[in-house]
Formats: sequence, structure tokens, C-alpha cells
Amino acid sequence: MIEVRQLTKRYGPQTVVNDLSFGVQPGRVTGFLGPNGSGKTTTARMILGLTEPDEGSATINGRTYRELRRPICEIGALINASAVIPSKTAIDHLRWLAAANGIKRRRAEEVLGMVGLEAVAGRKVGGFSLGMKQRLGIAAALIGDPPVLIFDEPINGLDPEGIRWIRTFMQDLATQGRTVFVSSHLMSEMALTASELVVIGQGRLIAAESVEAFTARADSSVRLRSPQLDEIAVALAIEGASLWRNGDALEIVGFSIEQIGALCARVGAIVYELSPQRASLEDAFMQLTAKVCEYVPTQREAVA
Amino acid sequence: MSHTLAMEWQKLRPFGKTSRTVALTIGLAVSVSAIVSAAMASGAKHMTLADRSSFDSVGISLQGVNAAVLAIAAFGVLSMTREYSTGMISLTFLAQPRRLRVLAAKLVTHSTVAAIAGLGACLAAFAVGQALLGTEGLDNGWTSAHLPSALAGGVVYLLLLCAWGVALGALLRTSAAAITWMASLLVVAPVIVQILPESVVHRVERWLPSQIGSGAMSAHSDPHLFTPWAGLAVLGGYVVLTLVAAAWRMARTDP
Repeated sequence: MIEVRQLTKRYGPQTVVNDLSFGVQPGRVTGFLGPNGSGKTTTARMILGLTEPDEGSATINGRTYRELRRPICEIGALINASAVIPSKTAIDHLRWLAAANGIKRRRAEEVLGMVGLEAVAGRKVGGFSLGMKQRLGIAAALIGDPPVLIFDEPINGLDPEGIRWIRTFMQDLATQGRTVFVSSHLMSEMALTASELVVIGQGRLIAAESVEAFTARADSSVRLRSPQLDEIAVALAIEGASLWRNGDALEIVGFSIEQIGALCARVGAIVYELSPQRASLEDAFMQLTAKVCEYVPTQREAVA
Repeated sequence: MSHTLAMEWQKLRPFGKTSRTVALTIGLAVSVSAIVSAAMASGAKHMTLADRSSFDSVGISLQGVNAAVLAIAAFGVLSMTREYSTGMISLTFLAQPRRLRVLAAKLVTHSTVAAIAGLGACLAAFAVGQALLGTEGLDNGWTSAHLPSALAGGVVYLLLLCAWGVALGALLRTSAAAITWMASLLVVAPVIVQILPESVVHRVERWLPSQIGSGAMSAHSDPHLFTPWAGLAVLGGYVVLTLVAAAWRMARTDP
């Protein structure tokens, strides 16, 4: 498991990671979610000992990265799949990594087989597609058969087939009892892959909970269609509801369907549709990160 | 540490590419020595008896080492900059978070290759140079009293330049910057020094790496230059200073 305590990192006047604490448990895929530039990669690099935190600590099974004797046998990481010397062959790239932690040589062929690259073992990495490099990076992460895995944006630039492969692959790793921590800025992808979430925005923790709990946090809205939208909107606004227009309908937050129905009857409006809208992971994410984003595009237009 | 050495050794494999570096080093040494020796031999007719008696046969035969040094220094530089420029250094540090051990392992493995290449280059350059000088009776042969120290000087010179390359590469992290510095120190600095007033030249020249290298292989002692081993010690000092700076940056700043 991974334990992050009060982790803080500043670059000049900017605090990239701010007093971040969370834990990642084995046996499930934990998504690490946040907008671009929210500090995900910096956090991952601090867990991996590549960046020194200003405050706080990150431990893997109770020890910091630099305390690990054979680190890649304890935690595997994919941080930048393109960071390979192009003139090396795939198998040679894995062999030096195996030698680095006293892992038996045959393991290089094994992990290439696991990611489906055995046919190109002798080819130079420089000629690999991004998808192939991602697979090679995952093979490198697995070479020490580690119980903990960190993947930083593993699906960037992958085709749909590759995305599906990585998704099931990560879930299989978690089913084997490993700790799998996957960062992404794509919420829809995390909704399909992860069961737990760590959500950050501007380097601060927004949530660390299950996907269901996180989704439930988002305000569920009510959708209303009517030929007398303006009248209803004014009445609702007076009552204190927050609402915005969405095409030919109104989206209302903070009022139940029953309250809205009663209000429509009072103003004598015709109602075509009155339906509850369940928030998606994406909605929950947008609502929660909107508060901490530096730049928020205006989405809600008050009608009244 | 043994795992770290194994890692760096494995990175040099397959040896195809590494042996090309060795071949290039030897090839440069031999061709430049051949050119210089042939030129000397063709001018032998105009040499006086005094010229002949003071002729530094061993030093001339080893002139090619001054060219080979560029290949060896680049070999050292690229060992670090290739990893920093591709970002692979992060993966190296994941496998070995004690960064200074990575630097030490690179020094050991690359110096080993440099020693093999350097010894090959010095021996081959000497053999070819002597053969060409021999056509005019200017050769000293393998029994020359000065030969062992000149050969050792040449090999140590190449070894130190490889280590300096590793250190500069680790310090500057980009191939362009490190190779430019290396070439400036080895090739450009001597040219600039030559256009300075003579009094300044005498004070500055001895500190140049290229002068230290030539001095280490030469039979003559120039009062304005360091003695061979004192010169190599100064060069070693440059390497140590650069290594300290590189180690400091490596440990302190993130890749």
C-alpha cells in the first residue's frame, strides 16, 4: 500500500502540492484524478523518490522509496513511456533494468510476453508507436513482480483497443491483490477502471473515497420542460433555487421534484417533463474542482 | 553497488555499439599518428644531426592520441546526456535511488572501456608511427627507455578525459552543452592561447588539458610546462572538481 502524509512541494512562489494526505489500498484500482497541472505527476514523482518533498512524506509498505533495497521489486512505475534510448531494442531495455535489481534475465522475456510485445523483442524502441512504448513501459514496471504499481497517465495517446487492454490489465493486477494507483485527467476512463478515487485540484485533496461516494457528492438536478419556462424560472429564483438553462429545458438544483411540481401548479404553468438527473462522475468532478480551478469557463447561465 | 555496476555494464551491451567507440578511438589515433609520422619522415632529409638526436620519436608516434581523446571524451559525455535528454535517467534512478552510486558505476564501467580503447589506441598508434618513421631511420623501437612512461601517460590521459566527459555530462545534462565545452577546452582554448602575448602564453599554456596530454607523452621537458605526472595530477584535479559539482547537482536537482 501507499501512504502519503502532509506532502507539500513548492516551486518558487507556487505551491504545486499542498498538504496532501491519502492512502492507497491493495486489491483494487485506485484512480488519481485531477485536471492537468493539478500536481498528479509531482505527487507520483515524490512517491517514487524522484522529487524531494518540501514537507511531509510518502511511504510504500511503510518505507520511503530511497529506503527500499531493491526498489523495482517493491513498486513498479510507468511515468514517461517515451523516456527510452531509441537505439536500444525492447529486450535490451528490459535487461539492464533487470540487472539493476538482481532480477533474473529470463524475466525480461516473460514481461514482454505479458504485454504482448514478444514479437518485437529485438526491434529498436525508436521505431515503436506510442501504444507499443506504453506496453513496454508497463512491462518495465512489472519486471520486478512488485506488489505495488503506479501508472501515470497510462492511456494518453492510446487507441480504443489499447485503452481497453490497459483497463482490463490493471483490473487483473488488482485482482491478484496488488495495489494499483493510476493517474488520469480523464474522468470517464476512471469511472470504468477504478473503484476508489483520490481527487486533487491545485495540489489539494478534494476527495479520497469510492467512486460511488464521490458521484453521490455531486448535486443532483431536476430537469424541467415547459412552454412557460420564463415564468417558472422567475418563481423558482424568488424561492431561492439555483437554476440554469440547458437547451429548451431548465436544470434546477436544491429543490425536489415534488416542490417544483407544486410551484408549477401554483403559477399555473403547463409542464411537459419533470425528471431527476443523476450526476455522473464527470459532473461530480466538475462541480468539486470548479471551486479550486484557476480558470473556470462559465457554464451556468442564470435565466432570471 | 554490484547491482548498479551490473546495470551500467548491461547498458553498454550489446557491445556492438561500444566496440564501435573503441574502434573509432583506435582508428583516429592510428590515422593521425600515421599522417604526422609520414610528414616527419618526408622531411627527414632536411634534418641536421642535432635535429635527429633531439627528435622525439615516441612522442611523434603518439600524436594521434590527441585526436583519439575527442572520441573518448564524447563517449563519456554521452553516457550521461543520452539518459538525461531522453528522460531515461528517471528509470535509472527508480532502479537505483542512490544517485551518486549511478555516477560512480558509470565512471567505473566507462573508464574500463576507455582503458581498453586507450591502451589499444596508444599501442597501435605507436606501432604505425614507428613503422613510418623507420623508413627514414627515425624510429626508436619498442626498447626505447621513454616508451613505458609515454604509453602510460597516454592511457591515463585518455582515461581522465573519459571521466571528465562523464562528469561534464552529468553536470550539464545536454549533449550539445557538454560537447561544446569539451571541444572548447581541448581544441579552441589552445588556439586562443596561441594568439596571446608570449609572456602570458608561458603562464597559461601549462594549464591546458591538451598541453598536459601532449606533455605526458613527450620525451622533452619544457620549463614552461608541468612534468608529465604533475600535469596529469592537475588534469585529475579538474576531473575531481567537475565530479564534485556534478554530484552536487545530481543529488540536489531532480531529473
